[in-house]
Parts: sequence; structure tokens; C-alpha cells
Amino acid sequence: MSMATHQADPTTTNSRLPARLSGRIHWGAARAMLVSEGRLLARNPGVVIWAVVLPIATAIILGSIPAVRAPSKNLGGLSYFQVYQPILVFFAITLLAMQALPDVLTRYREMGVLKRLRTTPASPSLLLFAQLTLILGVSIGCMVLMVVVPPLAGAPWPRNVGGFVVTYLLGAWAILGLGLVISSRFRNAKVAAGFGSFLFFVMLFFAGLWLPRPNMPGWLRHISDFTPSGAAVQGLTNSCAGHWPSALNVIVLAVWGAVTLRLAIRIFKWE
Amino acid sequence: MPVIEVTDLRKVYGDRAVVDGVSFSVEQGEILGILGPNGAGKTTTVECIGGLRQRDGGSITVAGMDPAKEGAAFREALGIQLQESRMPDKMTVIEALDLYASFYPEPADPLELLERLGLVEQRKTYFAKLSGGQKQRLSVALALVGNPKVAILDELTTGLDPAARREVWDLLEDLRGTGVTLLLVSHFMEEAERLCDRVVVIDHGRIIAADTPEGLAANVQADQRMSFLPSEPFDLALLQTLPDVHSVTTAGERVVVVGTDNVASAVIIGLHERGISVGGLRVDQPSLDDAFVALTRSEASNETGSDDGPSVSERTAVR
Repeated sequence: MSMATHQADPTTTNSRLPARLSGRIHWGAARAMLVSEGRLLARNPGVVIWAVVLPIATAIILGSIPAVRAPSKNLGGLSYFQVYQPILVFFAITLLAMQALPDVLTRYREMGVLKRLRTTPASPSLLLFAQLTLILGVSIGCMVLMVVVPPLAGAPWPRNVGGFVVTYLLGAWAILGLGLVISSRFRNAKVAAGFGSFLFFVMLFFAGLWLPRPNMPGWLRHISDFTPSGAAVQGLTNSCAGHWPSALNVIVLAVWGAVTLRLAIRIFKWE
Repeated sequence: MPVIEVTDLRKVYGDRAVVDGVSFSVEQGEILGILGPNGAGKTTTVECIGGLRQRDGGSITVAGMDPAKEGAAFREALGIQLQESRMPDKMTVIEALDLYASFYPEPADPLELLERLGLVEQRKTYFAKLSGGQKQRLSVALALVGNPKVAILDELTTGLDPAARREVWDLLEDLRGTGVTLLLVSHFMEEAERLCDRVVVIDHGRIIAADTPEGLAANVQADQRMSFLPSEPFDLALLQTLPDVHSVTTAGERVVVVGTDNVASAVIIGLHERGISVGGLRVDQPSLDDAFVALTRSEASNETGSDDGPSVSERTAVR
């Protein structure tokens, strides 16, 4: 039983491509990593449950109250549901990107998991791929529930589903990029968590959680337009009303995603 | 043709050379120990060999490849067990091995590996629930799961209790003869004596001794240490003139003499001639650990102007 002469399963030997940051992905390893990270996520569901349950429950409750669905003069003719549904949809992915992602990656850095992975033919970028896929997957599941369930209780559907989906994906691109920046350097999970919480509240403020965008003073709304959360929520709100996200929304989100992703790769530390 | 060839390796942090002209080679199937006190530059040396650090000078080849290029073929040829690297708490032993096996084109069979390492019963145990020895055995398994030509094991038994340490040693002894070339970083002489075909001792970034463990031990075995209570006070200089004596000191009432393996009889006879008798006699065979301490300490006294403590440089080295 010499290990040196042991022959591997032929299905794993034919794809010799290693997975590195250059983009060549070894799919067997990528799938194994995804399964592994998914399993760990299921065993440590804490932050994800809170990120998922709270906004979904709120969206469903809001959607089922008739008064909340009525247009309000205070909100420029929109209903509370129309204002808050996009915010809640963005709440979940922001929480996951600002807290869950940095928590896992910083902890892995702290524990030497990233450095250990670096010594294998599979680069740690596989881990980033797995984490981003999982978080995006959970967020999309969450978004679907928030969009599909309230109409069952009488709330309206987004009138422009295409615009809604496009805005959502662009928003995810921007906010996950920001999450990766937070995740890329810290060695201490508590410091990363503190920083992530701060940015989470900043993002949700500009999204309009405390002061809905229609009620923001003009100068504040202009600032909000240029934040990932402000742009995403505006785009989602437009789509709910049957319009498309504005060109500005699209550009702001695309640029935030591109810049943060580049920055995250530039400053990323394996140890 | 050596599997690992290191020539004049240099690594500098700031203006301090942490590794300063290290050269050695390791043959196929050989187990080489790299010994040295904390902060000697051992970890930096193996991290340069493992491609985790960029060297500042010299050359390295591992299985014909340059670690600085960090290609996938290099990663497949080399398995590394790192100091202080953990797995996620809620990952089980078999999950960790299956995951790491998926990274390699021709992995070992994880179950077979667990059997060799005596971890079959723990295969469904979470990493956090493993004992220290079991964690280290898993670490060895992960370093070997890709069927590497060369495995680097860094401070494998540091922090383990003696029983767990023996457990890991038994396992490594079993690996001998499987053809894997092992580079073992340690600061335990006993570990090296038991496992290594050859050792190099590094201190202050330089190799201060390179030999078989027996060869190193033989050099030190020459020094014996005895202590006794003299029946009456006498001039210590008297003993220093004896040819077998290297040094004479006192510890409280006791006189401590270090010298050749003849020192005990030479001292007893010398004192007896002057009417002094020797009580409470103790003769210590110096251990390999003592040998190692002697070796590295004499090196330290040769170093003038090295005012950094070893622990400081170790911290620098791993950053």
C-alpha cells in the first residue's frame, strides 16, 4: 500500500488545469470547494439566518398590510411598500456582503487556511469563487422570496421584472466588490466585523432605510445617487414602478463594482 | 541528482539578513532535518523553498523547478505542512482530505491515507474536536494527499505533549522508504535523531553544522558534566590544569566540572592525591539537546553586535 504508486480515479486525472487567479478554473476542485464551503455555511448559519429572515419577514408583513400598500403623499405618491421593498431586498445582500463575507475570509486568513491553500495547486481564488457564489445564491433566493411572496398577500409585483433583475445583479456586483475590499486585508475577524458593520449602516442609510430617498433633502439624495446602495435602490424602485434604472444608476453600480474588485485584488493578502 | 538543491540562499528583512548564505541538498527519499533555535531562519528558509517567500539571493531547485515561479506543476510536486495552519472548526477529517485531494491530478486515496495515519475512527470528527496529535496527523495527511515528491513539515511536534509527539514520530518513521523526500523543520534534537538521515543546524541565518545525527551527537558526547561536594575547600585552578577538564564552576556548595569522557576519574584521582575526597558525585551524560544548545550558544557568542533576541527575529521571519 504505497501511496506513491496509488492510481487516482480517472475522472479526476483528465483535467490537469490548475485553478489560479489568471482565470483557468479546475472545475472538479471548484465544485469540491463550493460543496465544502456550502456545508460549512449550513453548519454555521448564524449571520446568514439573520441576514435572510429579518428582511424577508419584514417584506412579507409590510406587503400584507393594505394601508402600507396605499400611495402616500409623504412619499411623493409611492406607497410604503414600494419604497421599502427595494430597501429590504438590498438589505439582505448588503448584510451578507458587509458581514458574512469578511467574517469568513478574515477568519480563514487568521487561521492560516488561505496560506495553506496557497501551497496547493488550487489557488485560494477558488475559495473566493465559492464564497461569492454562495453569498450571491443566498441573496438571490432571498430576493426571490421578497418579490414573490408579498404579491400572494395582495402586494404589487415589480412592473418591470427585467429592469429589476438587471439592477439587482449590478447592485450585487457593486456591493460584493465592496465586501471583498473589506475582506481582503484584515487579519482580525473582530476588526473586520466592526468595519463591516459601520459600512453596512452607511450603505443602508444611503439606501433610505431611516430616511426614505423621496424625503431626503436634494443634496443628500445627490450623494445617495452615487453610492452603490442609493443607486441600486433607486434602480429597483424605478423598475417596480415599471421604468428602467436610469443610465446614472447603471454607470454608478458598474463603476463601483469594477473599482472595488480591482482594489480588492490589488490589496488582497493571503496571510 | 538531488531533489532539493539550495545554493547560497539569502533573505533580507529591512537591513537584516534572516537567511544569510544557506546551501544544502537533499537526495531522493532522504529525510533531512533543519534544526535551529527560534528565529534562526528555519521557517524563512523552508518558506523560500516552498515558494511562499521570494528570496533575495541564491538559487533553489525543487524537483528541477524554481519555487519563485510558483507554477502549478511545482505545487503538485511539493506538499507543505505549515506551522500554525488550521482547518475550519466544523470541517471533518474526511471532508478536509477529500477537498484537498480534489486539488491534485493524481491524489492518494484519502481513506487509505487515514488508515496509514491512524485517523480512520476520527474521519467524521470535526477539526475543532481533534486532539493536538490528531490535528498534526491530519496536517501530515493533507501534505501527502497530493502524492508529492517532496514534503516539507514545519515544526510538526511543537506544542504537543510527549505522547502525541511519539505518535507523530511513529507515523513519520513509517513514511521512510515510501520514496517521499522529507524536509523536517524542528528544534528538537531527539526528533532529528530518531527520524532524520542527515541534519543541518541553522543559527542566525547560517548553517553552523551539517552531519548525520550520530555524527553531531558524537561531537558532543565528548563533553561530560560532573558535579560533587568536596570534603574541604580547595583552589579551583587546581582542576583547570588537568588535561581532561574544559571548565570548572561552582553551583552553591557543589563544584561543576565539564570535560572529556575521562573527566570524572581524572578529577577524583587528582583530588585524592591532595587528600580531598569527593562526595555526592553526579555524572551527567549530556543529551543531544545540550549538544544543540552548546552548538548554538557558541555561535551566538561569536556574533558580535547581534542584540536582537531570538523571539524578535522569529516574529519578523514569519511576517
